Amino acid sequence: MLSIKNLHASVEGKEILKGINLDVKAGEVHAIMGPNGSGKSTLSQVLAGNEAFDVTDGSITLNGENLLELETEERAREGIFLAFQYPVEIPGVSNLQFLRTAVNAMRTHKGEEEMNAAEFMKLAKEVSKQVDLDPSFLKRGVNEGFSGGEKKRNEIMQALLLQPQLAILDETDSGLDIDALKVVSDGVNALRSDDRAILMVTHYQRLLNHIVPDYVHVLAGGKIIKSGGRELALELEEKGYGWLGIKDEDAATDAAN
Amino acid sequence: MKAAPTLPAAFLHPAGQSLPQPLLELRKQRGTALVDMPLPTRKTENWKYSSKYLKLTDDMGISLPADEKTGSSLAVPGYKVAFLNGVMLPEASEYPDLEGIRIQSFGDLDDDEAARLAERLDSNLDGKAVQLAQLNSARFEDGLFISLAPEAVLDQPLHIVHEVTADASGSAFPRIYVDAGRHSQLTLVEEYISSGTAAVLVNTVTEVEVAEGASVTSIRLNMEGENVQHVGATGVRQQRSSRFESHTVGFGGPLRRHDLQVRLEGEGAECKLNGVVVTQGKQHYDNHTTIEHIAAHCNSEETYRNIAADQSHAVFNGRIHIHQDAQKSNADMNNKNLLLSNGAEIDTKPELEIYADDVKCAHGATIGQLDETSVFYLVSRGIGRRQANVLLTMAFINELVDQIPVESVRETAHTRLNQFFDQTFEEA
Ligand SMILES: Nc1ncnc2c1ncn2[C@@H]1O[C@H](COP(=O)(O)OP(=O)(O)O)[C@@H](O)[C@H]1O
Ligand SMILES: [Mg+2]
Repeated sequence: MLSIKNLHASVEGKEILKGINLDVKAGEVHAIMGPNGSGKSTLSQVLAGNEAFDVTDGSITLNGENLLELETEERAREGIFLAFQYPVEIPGVSNLQFLRTAVNAMRTHKGEEEMNAAEFMKLAKEVSKQVDLDPSFLKRGVNEGFSGGEKKRNEIMQALLLQPQLAILDETDSGLDIDALKVVSDGVNALRSDDRAILMVTHYQRLLNHIVPDYVHVLAGGKIIKSGGRELALELEEKGYGWLGIKDEDAATDAAN
Repeated sequence: MKAAPTLPAAFLHPAGQSLPQPLLELRKQRGTALVDMPLPTRKTENWKYSSKYLKLTDDMGISLPADEKTGSSLAVPGYKVAFLNGVMLPEASEYPDLEGIRIQSFGDLDDDEAARLAERLDSNLDGKAVQLAQLNSARFEDGLFISLAPEAVLDQPLHIVHEVTADASGSAFPRIYVDAGRHSQLTLVEEYISSGTAAVLVNTVTEVEVAEGASVTSIRLNMEGENVQHVGATGVRQQRSSRFESHTVGFGGPLRRHDLQVRLEGEGAECKLNGVVVTQGKQHYDNHTTIEHIAAHCNSEETYRNIAADQSHAVFNGRIHIHQDAQKSNADMNNKNLLLSNGAEIDTKPELEIYADDVKCAHGATIGQLDETSVFYLVSRGIGRRQANVLLTMAFINELVDQIPVESVRETAHTRLNQFFDQTFEEA
């Protein structure tokens, strides 16, 4: 489904991704782990089409189609979804209006009829229950004044509404307490299906206890330096990133988690 | 030194003699002051950013014909009054005869009433700050006199439509005087529109007296065409425990200038001034507001938003003057500005003068562009770029549009805003 070949990307002239290769098939869950600053968010943002990052070499294809030629909104309509590490607060646009506009943009793209306000309200209430967000959050500005955990649940809610082909979850587990982690993992597990792939980007391995990945990759210094099965995550937890010869200031906190 | 420019000669002669004698006399008297009146220039502090847009030519000096067409009934719900080129059209107006409420054209006042009105006209404005209001006082041909007896309540908004027909160059001088008696209540809409394409001047003055405990809401909707220069002034005087609320929604033009002066003269008076301005192309819009805190324990709250696209130019100047005796004043002014293009310009200036020591006064002004991170967040959900821009631009003014207490005005504003979005944001 997704094929990344020799991807190089830079921001403000500084090279961050230095030759990434990755193949993801439908139905698979891949975890990308790595210390802070290794380029995990950069990879996520480049996949979603953030123009702040320049792709200087390599290719990305989705179902054989060149993703790099598509605008961000076109990628989204082709099924790419990014749950942001730092979801954006947009006061003045209600969460409900935002979600409905997004869902209807997708439906229009697929040649389906738009949902009216009442239909959508019903759907939104159901899905908000699924991620344990009170429906009152629908009336508030997009992520406005949401706690860290509420923002992450709002991201998962969007994934559930938009039903993407490839969901990229950038540190969706960070800043969550145990209960919220459970809610979010249940949401992600509900997304798992044979025709969908999930790319989980995480610093910590604890999320992987709830969402068991098929593959684990270690990203360091802008390259994938090791790939393996889920046992690689356990090994990382035990030994820290230092074991792979990577410097990581957060290794201590990581082990403590 | 070059002498400051004065009004072209054609502006010095009033037409339309059908007013009661006391008003004709007042007009004549005001007219003598016009002869040497210097027009604002770049050096005039309160016209610094806008004088270059004021282009008065001799052929704009004559009054637009008042009897050109008989208006058809206005497509607005509720009570309505239609003015064409500054003169009332009774056939197109619809309002009931309500106890304690008088809504009348200046032309219909008897001489005694007109004499009393003549004494009060201009007394609600600081003439030094609104130079061109004098022109209106020398040239108005009609006007709307609204008077509410104590306790009278107008149960629906009064919608006043001022239309100019610009088939040839000329000018119009709409005038409104509101006398809201003690504990009376009134909501009024002033809508300015135009037809035709000739260069014209619309020069307005609205005065509002808000007596003790009275509550007046005033909505100003400016939607005149690209050929209309508009210079308007509104002066409000508030007595004890009264409330005045103003909502301005303005779309730009070759020159758009509105001065809003509010005097809080009685203790416990409060005012709330909201404004939304949208400019595009080479348009201009300039809102100057002044709030005079004269009595103690008064509150003022002011929120203005400007959105400037293309090569347009918006100006906001907010003056708050807290007089020495105005202890326990509470003043809050907030102005945010959105530039939708690199070629657009916005000038904003808060002016605070505080002479009392026990006051709360907050002010803030920002100028920014649409936030790229927010745009990216929206488009990453499949929302088109154009729609993302619209959502974020609306987010900037939603709160103010939603506060307008008349539904038909909100709808009109939305329709015009959508036209603005269609022209400003390209289809992807
Ligand atoms: N917008 C940006 N401008 C400048 N540097 C950036 C920007 N985004 C990321 N970087 C840099 O790129 C590197 C990788 O960052 P990031 O992809 O966020 O790492 P991770 O998500 O793995 O913690 C870091 O050194 C970071 O400082
Ligand atoms: Mg990151």
